[in-house]
Amino acid sequence: MTSQALAQTNIQTPKSKIPFRALAMPLALLAIFVWFAVQSSAFLSSRNLSMLAIEVSITAVLALGMFLIILPGHIDLSAGSGVGLIGGLAAVLVFEHAWPAPLAILVGVVAAAIIWLAMGSIIVRERVPAFIITLGGLLVFRGLHWLVIHNATVPVSRGGEVNLYSMLTTYYLPPIEGYLLAAGVVIALTTVRWAEYRRRQAAGNDGEQIFLTTFVAAQLLFLFVLICNAYRGVPLPALVLGVVAFLVYTLTTQTPFGRYLYAIGGNEEAAIVSGVPVAKVTTCAFLLMGLIVAITGFLQTAYSGASTTTVGSLMELDAVAACVIGGTSLKGGRGTVGGVLLGALIMAALLNGMTLLAVSPESKYIARGLVLALAVWADVRLSKR
Amino acid sequence: MASRRGKLFTENKLPFLAMNVLLSAEGLVKLFPGVKALDGVSFDLRAGELHALCGENGAGKSTLIKTLSGIHPAGSYEGVLRMGEREVAFANSKEAELAGIGVIYQELALVPEMTVAENIFLGNEPKRFGGLLIDWDRVYRESKTLLDRFGLEIDPAAKVQDLGVGHRQLVEIAKALSKESRILILDEPTAALTEQEVDVLLDMLRDLKKRGMALVYISHKLDEVFAVADRITVLRDGKSITTLDAAETDKNEVIRHMVGRSIEDLFPRRVGKVGELKLEVKNLSVKHDGKTRLREISLEVRAGEVLGIGGLMGAGRSELLMHLFGAYGSRISGEVNLNGTPLTAKSRPTDCIRRGLAVVSEDRKRYGLVLDQSIGFNMALSSLGEVTRHGLIQKQPEEERNGNYFRSLRVKAPGLSTGVGTLSGGNQQKVVLAKALMTGPQVVFLDEPTRGIDVGAKLEVYELVNRLTDEGKAVVLVSSELPELMGMSDRIVMLADGQIGGTFTKTEATQEKLLAAAMGKTN
Repeated sequence: MTSQALAQTNIQTPKSKIPFRALAMPLALLAIFVWFAVQSSAFLSSRNLSMLAIEVSITAVLALGMFLIILPGHIDLSAGSGVGLIGGLAAVLVFEHAWPAPLAILVGVVAAAIIWLAMGSIIVRERVPAFIITLGGLLVFRGLHWLVIHNATVPVSRGGEVNLYSMLTTYYLPPIEGYLLAAGVVIALTTVRWAEYRRRQAAGNDGEQIFLTTFVAAQLLFLFVLICNAYRGVPLPALVLGVVAFLVYTLTTQTPFGRYLYAIGGNEEAAIVSGVPVAKVTTCAFLLMGLIVAITGFLQTAYSGASTTTVGSLMELDAVAACVIGGTSLKGGRGTVGGVLLGALIMAALLNGMTLLAVSPESKYIARGLVLALAVWADVRLSKR
Repeated sequence: MASRRGKLFTENKLPFLAMNVLLSAEGLVKLFPGVKALDGVSFDLRAGELHALCGENGAGKSTLIKTLSGIHPAGSYEGVLRMGEREVAFANSKEAELAGIGVIYQELALVPEMTVAENIFLGNEPKRFGGLLIDWDRVYRESKTLLDRFGLEIDPAAKVQDLGVGHRQLVEIAKALSKESRILILDEPTAALTEQEVDVLLDMLRDLKKRGMALVYISHKLDEVFAVADRITVLRDGKSITTLDAAETDKNEVIRHMVGRSIEDLFPRRVGKVGELKLEVKNLSVKHDGKTRLREISLEVRAGEVLGIGGLMGAGRSELLMHLFGAYGSRISGEVNLNGTPLTAKSRPTDCIRRGLAVVSEDRKRYGLVLDQSIGFNMALSSLGEVTRHGLIQKQPEEERNGNYFRSLRVKAPGLSTGVGTLSGGNQQKVVLAKALMTGPQVVFLDEPTRGIDVGAKLEVYELVNRLTDEGKAVVLVSSELPELMGMSDRIVMLADGQIGGTFTKTEATQEKLLAAAMGKTN
């Protein structure tokens, strides 16, 4: 699937560290899949894989937002609460005030944009650590969320009717369209990679690896569509993730904004002296995070069917874990979109498998915590070299 | 302490061993990626002598000290270290310290918030009640004894932050002595001291010699060297060139050995055509952290001209550059014009770069480079707009442009994707220079552009300065090395304590005049 493609197309990371990480994480993922498949035959059923695709997509979208915050060396602990709040706000507007779903969603997006812009500005201008501001945000947004939904269960549509909000996680792309879309993506990818190959050839560099990665990516993409089509087709959240991942990938690898994120995280003082508009770039990263929190909020709430007090809870930690597992340095300045997607896949597969095996909630908490701690420990060890 | 083993050799052909050699190094070779920092250094140190190490920046002095003191552990270099006749291999600096080698570095290693006595015994505190509690009485009593022994009127209970730089330096030495070192290595101990403080320090060193200690002394200031040294070893390009008896040589001979060529070849400044006014600073005063750091500074630089700025450490040289660049302090008063239009107090580095000002800062690891990233990433960082179309960076033009600078500045590295953290100082500096030049500047600030880079790379930096002025750009060169300042500047402004201490043309400037101006003595 796309995550694999992006993992291998990335050429930004220093070469020395790639072999270990590039192999270790896919192997860990494979081990997780094999383990759950052996434990429960339902794990590899097309229905569960389809569910997993939705869950991965939601986790990964938020993790990509977190990636934009961690790259310049910050962190957002309020993301999970924000997911609950924005999703709940839109649900209340639709269910209790009978607003059309698109309008409710728009209001949610604008609200999130304003809130995260404000947090970003405080962090940049007043030099309050992001850790503290967003920790405050975590509590404030949770409180607001519960206030907005009056501690009740607020469905995302009235009387079971279908609207844009509820469709977010119930719409599946029909099989034919799924294949057509995959074919289109593969053609576009090949074109871009061909140009890259020619450029490297012209520069006298070896470009063979490009063909291999493109080929593998295309295979995985078709395999993914095939699996999804065995159930109902490609779920909408997977398309949302595809778009978000493409945008974040382009942003971080192809634009000055992305370079600046890496530079700020790598050495903020040098970035300032190099003329990087540090304040503007960092604030902008938070603004983007706001938009992504809103998108995740709608997806996660729609997936639950209703806004409840637990929607979004602890999602920020899964997002951070996904980033770190995928090789993003918590100090900033290092990481790739491909790695983050892989990390999200590992986190989501773990949660999905444990739910399937009816693991008790207390054990799930412990497992999540251990994975997070382990990932950060590995990050610290690896950054020391 | 005085061993008699050396006597055995008095009849031999190795009479110098009779002089009680405490520490010797033979054929030291130390490699860094891309640079041979030491390339066959031999050196010996006798009890009761002060042995000066002379050499330009990059000659290998610091590397030699770090090798002698265990910072570069055994195994990371070739060659043999001996203490007496015993071969030693220090795994770390602690082992060297235990063997009696104390080092006082250029950058002071005292904790400003602690008292003098606390600092002296830091990490080495006398304990009581079986090691449970620190014996504070002893800490202060022994500190007092130690300070008194050298006639230092420093209160052991004073906070280090309340002492002047000179006194801090003396506290450092006292600290090293509290560890009962037999060998003391001093790296540029007088760099930040006033003349008076230097005298106190030199007296202290003479006293230590009499007590049989062996001292290694590194200084650029040859007057000081000749005032206290018994022998002088000259290093150049990582090699020990010669060892001279101080009594039988003179400054000129030492300089000749240090440089290995005449001074004109060393600073190949070509004076160009001086054009219109590029940068004008009028009565600039700046405060930072509530203190006035720069007072009433006025200066101007024209196209094709190099303005040198000198001064002692803390005189405000870098602060001036960084303020003009929008990255330091806030303006109390004054006016700055760049290319005839005002540069306001609100201008940030981003604006300054757009307006044609570029800075190569003094601390390239801190302010110059993103060390995790590649050469190409760092080179292009300040001028990504040039290669961006429709919001996307165009890889091909970017790489071509990076490649051009990579070649024209002769960066020695496998390629543009090589991590900048793996390069030698000189090559890193070239990457920082490339980054600054790629912004297409009109005025270039070079803050200590040759610090810590080898002689070959230095010459390339000087050539670059010539090229810039030939192209009609204005250069402001900050340097703490007077020969470089005098050799490469067309005019020189000396700063003293945040004010202008004197302005000199190239022909007026002599080391003595510049130093006097740096001390704030008007001429």
